[in-house]
Amino acid sequence: MQNNEVLLKVDHLCQYFKLGRKDLKAVDDVCFEIKKGESFGLVGESGCGKTTTGRSIIKLYNITSGNVYFKGERVGAGIRSYQDAIRKARTEASEKIKALRAEAAADESRKAEIQDEIKQINANLHAVVEENRALIRGAKSNTKDVDKRYVGTLLKALEAEYAEKFDNAANNPDELAALKKEYKNRCRVAKKSKLITQIQMIFQDPIASLDPRMTVRDIIAEGLVIKGITDQAYINEKVYEILEMVGLVREHADRYPHEFSGGQRQRIGIARAVIMEPEMIIADEPVSALDVSIQAQVINLLNDLRERLGLTILFIAHDLSVVKYFSDRIGVMYFGKMVELADSDELFKNPLHPYTKSLLSAIPLPDPVYEKQRTRIIYNPIAEHDYSVDAPSFREVAPGHFVQCNDAEEAKYKQQLK
Amino acid sequence: MNKEIKLSVNDLKVSFRTDAGKVQAVRNISFDLYKGETLAIVGESGSGKSVTSKAIMGISAGNSIYEGGEILYDGQDLTRIPEEEMHKLRGDKIAMIFQDPLSSLNPIMRIGKQITEAMLLKNKANRKEGRTTFNKTLALLSETIKKALAANPQSGVTNADVDKYIKTFDDFNIQAIKLENSYNAARTAAEEMIAAIEDLLFMTEKKQKVDTVASLDLIKNRLKVINDKYFTSGQEDVLKAHVAAVDAVAREERSKVTALDFVKKVAGAGGYRKEASPETVDAMKELEKTAQELLARPQYNFFRIGYYVMKHPAEDLSQMPAEEANEMALKFLKEDFIDSFMELVKLAVQFSFDKTNENKKVAIRELESAIQFFKAGNFTAQDAEKHSKHIISCVSAAIDPLAIVKDNVAYTFGSTLENAVDKYFFYIKNNPKEEARFARQTAQREKLLARGKKVEWKIVPKSVIAPEVQIEAIASIMTRVKTKFEADIAAAGKFDADQRCLDIIDFLKEKASQIVYTLTKRIAKEKAIKLMEEVGIPEARIRYRQYPFEFSGGMRQRIVIAIALSANPDVLICDEPTTALDVTIQAQILELINRLKKERNLSIIFITHDLGVVANMADRIAVMYAGKIVEYGTAEEVFYDPQHPYTWALLSSMPDLDTNEKLDAIPGTPPNMIYPPVGDAFAERSKYAMEIDYEMQPPMFEVSPTHYAATWLLHPNAPKVEMPKIITERIRRMKERGSDHAE
Repeated sequence: MQNNEVLLKVDHLCQYFKLGRKDLKAVDDVCFEIKKGESFGLVGESGCGKTTTGRSIIKLYNITSGNVYFKGERVGAGIRSYQDAIRKARTEASEKIKALRAEAAADESRKAEIQDEIKQINANLHAVVEENRALIRGAKSNTKDVDKRYVGTLLKALEAEYAEKFDNAANNPDELAALKKEYKNRCRVAKKSKLITQIQMIFQDPIASLDPRMTVRDIIAEGLVIKGITDQAYINEKVYEILEMVGLVREHADRYPHEFSGGQRQRIGIARAVIMEPEMIIADEPVSALDVSIQAQVINLLNDLRERLGLTILFIAHDLSVVKYFSDRIGVMYFGKMVELADSDELFKNPLHPYTKSLLSAIPLPDPVYEKQRTRIIYNPIAEHDYSVDAPSFREVAPGHFVQCNDAEEAKYKQQLK
Repeated sequence: MNKEIKLSVNDLKVSFRTDAGKVQAVRNISFDLYKGETLAIVGESGSGKSVTSKAIMGISAGNSIYEGGEILYDGQDLTRIPEEEMHKLRGDKIAMIFQDPLSSLNPIMRIGKQITEAMLLKNKANRKEGRTTFNKTLALLSETIKKALAANPQSGVTNADVDKYIKTFDDFNIQAIKLENSYNAARTAAEEMIAAIEDLLFMTEKKQKVDTVASLDLIKNRLKVINDKYFTSGQEDVLKAHVAAVDAVAREERSKVTALDFVKKVAGAGGYRKEASPETVDAMKELEKTAQELLARPQYNFFRIGYYVMKHPAEDLSQMPAEEANEMALKFLKEDFIDSFMELVKLAVQFSFDKTNENKKVAIRELESAIQFFKAGNFTAQDAEKHSKHIISCVSAAIDPLAIVKDNVAYTFGSTLENAVDKYFFYIKNNPKEEARFARQTAQREKLLARGKKVEWKIVPKSVIAPEVQIEAIASIMTRVKTKFEADIAAAGKFDADQRCLDIIDFLKEKASQIVYTLTKRIAKEKAIKLMEEVGIPEARIRYRQYPFEFSGGMRQRIVIAIALSANPDVLICDEPTTALDVTIQAQILELINRLKKERNLSIIFITHDLGVVANMADRIAVMYAGKIVEYGTAEEVFYDPQHPYTWALLSSMPDLDTNEKLDAIPGTPPNMIYPPVGDAFAERSKYAMEIDYEMQPPMFEVSPTHYAATWLLHPNAPKVEMPKIITERIRRMKERGSDHAE
């Protein structure tokens, strides 16, 4: 399943929320890539920004700054960093000018010289502002144009598909008419489609995320209806197919969510995501609200679907044993920052960041003898790191193993890996 | 097992009345909880774990029915005692921690108030209860002594003497209580004063402005109350100096109050607030030091001194150092009173014990004949009532009233027996009705089926108990108390009358001190802050004034634990305390519970569905499924040698860090408990099910003396089946790891 094609790239993603006058930095400068067909796990304690990251990717929030690329297209972009750059350049320039003017007032002889200097500063400022404004425009138009380009490729593919069919049916006017109608219909649907629907989400709480007044059929088909498909027979067929795929039966389509158990409800949530034929699924704590035995059912189902449909999954959870079991690579988050990212086996074998170590030491195992000897490592960021001189950044310590560290720590971690 | 049993649940059956029928949530479960151990109950949701715990707490939902069984705690059957009695136990003796901390905290009350509320209420109730118990026990003691004297007239002590002794005991206890009361009032005032000073110093340290005048007034006020001679002995002059000093600084602070401040205060706009001056801080620090020293001094033993003071009203013992005074008073008390009084008490104890021992022998004979009577069957209601009344009076006569540790079995015998007999007559009346209903429904269903219709509903199984079975149950109740009595008689040789006497005196002393122990709001606050620090909440003094929404999930759960511990309970029930929390916080909370268990020797019932959590916590584990315990044993046995297919399924459905193979999910869902399965409830979802599993419920098979499992696979005739590979692999890995650690 290993493939080097990058499906999703998250680049310096920041998501801030307004909290009075201050900003709450829910996600702060997070970078990672997800390759096609892999399952990427995101772990951390509650409130560390895992879910916000997932929601920002799917554009449930407008991101503050950074970029999200999906299949090479920029689907999300934040403009705060460019705005900040403009603001900073302006204040700097105005301060400089003020100082120069004061100088000019004191010394008449250098007036002309200072005038030139001020002009120079203004020109520089203008250039910076223009550059950043262009970037902002680019970010705005880019995210708009994504869908246009996507529709274009879809239409092209349709045209190619139907050109041949039209040729074959050229002798039969009835068939040709039917084909033309179908082509028109599909073109209409294609024109409305959006690239972001290729990413779907499964939510944590299966009770809260299903509308209690809709039947299961309506819930599952809602995505298709919004997409613009009107053919009821086709929708029904599709719903039945998906229901069976996720381990429910056709009869369930006409029931309401409250008639199902927790595990079955989560299956409905999965069906709703899968029916859109996405390339990627963001699973936000899909098993946390379920019983142990049902958890295993849902995990097995997700694994089956992944193999059958070649899905890429971003798996968000706080239960490390489940994440370890399910994911190829794991990213560990702490207070809005990604602190470590590695292959899952590598991460569990050689955890480098002290927070990862403390997280791993807290996992309870069904083994009484081991449990009684287990000692938990306590993570205290103030005592562990000295970032007063050298600020940390996210670096690759070993191939495929990234850690948030500064120079001294990087050397130490490299030493540990040997 | 020689450990003390704290709580035992026998054959408990709880159902819920619903529109669709009776849901049998808990079906005949039994377990014992020993002192200082953790019993974990594991199972899926809907298996009846929480219902069991709620039944123990007496907070079952309104539509619940106790269909049978008993929960024995401290000589009481918790399923039968009235709500007022339950009120005394709940929170005080048995406390509970719930799954969702936010829903068990009041959102509009400050944290501090929620912690202290129960403490204050319980303190008031305890004082009242202590008074009644003290009087009752003393009266009982005097009565028994008189009876004992009547039995051996040669001792030469008359009833009047006894009355005199009892009166002296009562009097000097009252004297002691009075002294202690006064002493405690001073002590309390000192503690309150320290609390006020701490508050003031804390605010000053944080550079906060406070109403220093009001604080100083309060401190002055408290300082004046500290005038008990036993508390202040030898330090009177120092205290006087302090009073003067505090007066001086108070005057100083007061002089800073301007007319504007006064106007503001009258207008209700806050009033005077300033930082305390350095002089004030110094004076306060000195005063606190003195108060701490006073508190740290050895205490007088007022039980001893009380008698001395009563006999020598003119002498002043407070000038003597505490240890010396205690020694002297003890010597006097011993020679003058207590030795001879103890003789009498010992006489009473011995007499009461011998008498009840005789009564026990009688009771055993009577029980035997009653068993014969009931086993013969065919008795009328009157006969049964007559017999059961007689036998109940025999058994209650055989209970030693002077035993402080109560005998659960004998104390609850009466209500249990009456209940069982009632049930017998109920079923005799109800069985035919139930049979008829069942037959009617079966016929209807078959009719519909014969017509080729689809029948969606199932027949509600008949709840019928054959009279013979019920008689057997009655007999077993009597046999149980009989065996208990026989064991008691056999152990009569080991009876230690001296120990029993000391127990009684200690009990009386404890009750007497309970009467005088008063808890004020200020002390409760200090206690609460100490408790909050104990459960690991930093900056407790600030946190004390916050609301629940200002706390994170883990902190909220700590608050709930602090509230549960505030009454110092015997038994703690934790209902999924960490399910809503993430891994790191979960580990912290578990460590906290484990530490508190060791420190306070708590008995814990820990309910969860996460086996990983259990491994850390539990001494013993009970696995529940569909309202029944399917397997129980020590943690090592259940994890390293699981026997029931359901335990296998639970273990194999959760991945651990080394799992790579496909998980063995349990197919399907738990059965609907309106229609409980006839045979093994897990059969439908188990791949190891045999034919007998659909027909008969498996009994508990013994694997080892501490390990039992209810599965037919353990029957000698059962085919040999292997555990799933995923578990054998895991156990092998665990054993390897275990031996690694051992090295």
